[in-house]
Amino acid sequence: MVGWFDAYAVSIVDGIAFGLLYFTLAVGLSLVFGMMDVLNLAHGTLYLAGAYLAYALSDGGWGGLVLGLAAGIAVGLGGGALLAAMTQPLAHRGHLDQALLTLGLSIVGAEVFLLASGGEPLPAEPPAGLRGSVEVLGHVYPAYRLLFIGVAGVLALAVYLAFERSSLGALVRATVADRDMVRTLGVDTRRVLFGVFAVGAVLAVVGGVLGAPILGPAPGIDGHVLVMSLVVVVIGGLGSVRGALLGALLVGQVDTLGRAIAPDYAAFLLFGAMFVVLAVRPGGLISMVKSA
Amino acid sequence: MSQLDRRQALKLFAGLGAAAAVPSLAACGGSSLSEDSGSGSSGGPIKIGMLAPQSGVYKVIGDDMINGFKLYLQLHGNKLGGREVDLIIADEGETGDSGRAGAEKLLKQDKVLAMTGVVSSAVMGAIVDMVETAQVPLVGSNASPTTLQGVTYIWRTSYVNDEPGKALGEYLGRTLKGTVYCIAADYQAGKDEVNGLLSTLPKDKLYGDPVYTPFAPNPTTNFQPYLTAIKQSDAEAVFCFYAGSSAVEFVKQYKQFGVNKRLYAPGFLTEGKVIESQGDAALGIFTSMNYAADLDNPANRTFASEYQKQPGWGIPTTYAMASYDAAAVLDKAITIAGDDLTPQSLNAAIGKIGQIDSPRGAWQFNQNRTPLQKWYLREVRRDGGVLSNVLVSELTTLG
Repeated sequence: MVGWFDAYAVSIVDGIAFGLLYFTLAVGLSLVFGMMDVLNLAHGTLYLAGAYLAYALSDGGWGGLVLGLAAGIAVGLGGGALLAAMTQPLAHRGHLDQALLTLGLSIVGAEVFLLASGGEPLPAEPPAGLRGSVEVLGHVYPAYRLLFIGVAGVLALAVYLAFERSSLGALVRATVADRDMVRTLGVDTRRVLFGVFAVGAVLAVVGGVLGAPILGPAPGIDGHVLVMSLVVVVIGGLGSVRGALLGALLVGQVDTLGRAIAPDYAAFLLFGAMFVVLAVRPGGLISMVKSA
Repeated sequence: MSQLDRRQALKLFAGLGAAAAVPSLAACGGSSLSEDSGSGSSGGPIKIGMLAPQSGVYKVIGDDMINGFKLYLQLHGNKLGGREVDLIIADEGETGDSGRAGAEKLLKQDKVLAMTGVVSSAVMGAIVDMVETAQVPLVGSNASPTTLQGVTYIWRTSYVNDEPGKALGEYLGRTLKGTVYCIAADYQAGKDEVNGLLSTLPKDKLYGDPVYTPFAPNPTTNFQPYLTAIKQSDAEAVFCFYAGSSAVEFVKQYKQFGVNKRLYAPGFLTEGKVIESQGDAALGIFTSMNYAADLDNPANRTFASEYQKQPGWGIPTTYAMASYDAAAVLDKAITIAGDDLTPQSLNAAIGKIGQIDSPRGAWQFNQNRTPLQKWYLREVRRDGGVLSNVLVSELTTLG
């Protein structure tokens, strides 16, 4: 057992890093879908925007990273508000129309990034002091990924506490559970909606800024992270922060530890896990949304 | 209310449609408005169609190919075989469908005398029948899957996909004492390269079975699980096949996770712009390619120095070189075809051009309509502050 653990320790730690990365994306997607029934397929574009920001503003020092984070928050707020405003008129028209709109936006976004970047994958380097690797218990691991686990872990905890323990979080949870009831209580649910959309977008862009040295800006990355976060949402269940966190950590492990143990089945593992969860719990592990 | 929404939606779609159409319109702009027919022996300008990606993930390679061809024209007074050239560029895009649309435009609308370009093997597969039926020569400068055989009108100035692997397999079998761990992206080109390696590498020098990392629907971006397995193996060296953003990720993570085994690969792992993104992690990687920018021969001294004089082009790649050679092939063949210049006579003339004095060294077409050429071993080193693929030795002659 100790030997087994030692052989796969790096994969397990790396699975946590990727799980937390997927969480920053999936939580916004899950809440927005669970709350306002809006399927935002442009969510991956927000990550890509963050990753490009990190590349553009990185200067090899900590200043660049801080600047990137500040710009990421601004871009996330703006992008989230814009997406919320654009999908609002389509709210009563079903998922297909929303999917078309947001998918169209993501295609336009991808093409804009392609033109701006020239199509080549760009190197978003972490601050100089974190570029190397560190040795922990005889295992070599990239220093930046360790820091990322710490920062993203704190971020996830903060989101979790705000959502589960604060009164604002209670309002959001109530809106997910029964929008009409909250409206009857005199709360303007559209403001809650805009707020959640914006916070979700900020998390996705910040995820991009922080994640760029791990999953860097390149054409196609938007689609990749979108698919991963959709899988997380399906596994974790809609409209729940706990579900998104659990789903993301599970997906992270399946995608790294699973690959390490059974490389021949790498392509099937992720969707196999999704299949198993759907067969056992069709609503996902923890779902806050009433099934219609 | 709902009608208004529908109108808004229609407007939106119209807008999206226009946005999508703009790049392709821009790509086929330029001189395509000229009314002359491509063929004919009047001595007027001839039309050469270039199918190269102007959008999508292969755009970087497409740009290199366009640069290579344009440089040849620039150095030869915009003439091929003494005839003024009207170069028409069509967007190849990313998929077989987008490539077919571009080829159809060049063949049917522009009625070009000959075509060149083509980055993607999928596009090559999609246009084989169209080109053969149209009987217009295609002097391709990149895509050359092993499955493309027995064609009459399709030539390639690049190499067959399994040749970089073949060139390395023989060398590794000769020089290594231990075994080679083999890992590649799970698609046709990756399998071609691995099969090339296995065809020349002695069986007892291969570590286990080749490992393929998923490519579709999502290319593998986190190589940690595979790298840990490589690190724990007792293989002496590693052979990998990756290109584009996968190449960047693989090389960076290879270093980050502290794998110390020597890395060998077909040249695209470190070719062109990807090497800048890989940075110092690429140092010490050995690759096989039919070209190195620092090859010492008269043709390359002209090509490489003129290429680097152009702002923003950087160090010439094998893609640019193969496209430069495609222009040289057409130059010679148009001269041989003389006054009776039709696509068919040009195709016959390409078979008679003999040796091409190329930046990669002299080569000629073989039976398969691909080059019989030398292969080189290169190592990534810092050369005057810039990372580049530095020539180490000749490997073998293939084709």
